[in-house]
Amino acid sequence: MTATITHKPDPKLDLVLERVVNVPPHLVWAAWTTPEYIKKWFTPAPWQTVDCQIDLRPGGIFRTVMRSPEGQEFPNTGCYLEVIENEKLVWTAALKPGYRPQNAASALLFTAVILLEPQGAGTKYTAIAIHGDEETAKKHADMGFHDGWGKVLDQLVTLAKTM
Amino acid sequence: MPNQELTRVFRALSDPTRRAVLERLTRGPAAVKELARPFEMALPSFVQHLGMLEDCGLVRSTKAGRVRTYTLAPQPLEAAEHWLLAQRALWERRLDALDDFLNTLKEEKR
Repeated sequence: MTATITHKPDPKLDLVLERVVNVPPHLVWAAWTTPEYIKKWFTPAPWQTVDCQIDLRPGGIFRTVMRSPEGQEFPNTGCYLEVIENEKLVWTAALKPGYRPQNAASALLFTAVILLEPQGAGTKYTAIAIHGDEETAKKHADMGFHDGWGKVLDQLVTLAKTM
Repeated sequence: MPNQELTRVFRALSDPTRRAVLERLTRGPAAVKELARPFEMALPSFVQHLGMLEDCGLVRSTKAGRVRTYTLAPQPLEAAEHWLLAQRALWERRLDALDDFLNTLKEEKR
């Protein structure tokens, strides 16, 4: 029942986050795959996810619309690559539904792998964000899709540089 | 920079007192007493804040006699500029939100 990781994370480009929650895998799965649920948590405040569309099968759409605190909306349309209920979910922002390649300039191209494993009565889940190259990713970050941290860091870095 | 260190930098930056100390230090080195002055806080608590900043390498300190002086060490901040860090911060906060939501969901389904 163990989901396999077919990806070897590159520490310069990829993120691996592991968490253990006291909630059974089927609920964690539901949180990742139900549009109404996604809207409630997918985008950390003060950003919001205002729309979400899911067609849960390989090639199916995963679309979210995020709204900035200033009210600007950012649609993201990707597609699922692997769907193993309660176990493994893989989607990519690099492909549109039906596996059609995106216009590379339009989005942060990343692939996300979510792995779920029962642990006692709860779940251990791993989220892996796989990025293509540093340049596109940096461009995306520069576009302002930062959370509060981005701003805090920017201020501090600016201050530090005036030393 | 290994992730654990990044996490420590983030934790250190998450507090307004510690951020204020960093901002003060951008204007030059300062002794503990001077750094503590703007805060209504017991000195031992304030010294703990300084310790956290020093542990993650954001500041350095030297002691001359009984006076300990702090200096900004901006290197971790530059590393923190890295885009990947912004992504990590986003994912960490996203998963924090997920964990909160999961607990709500669990209560609802009970």
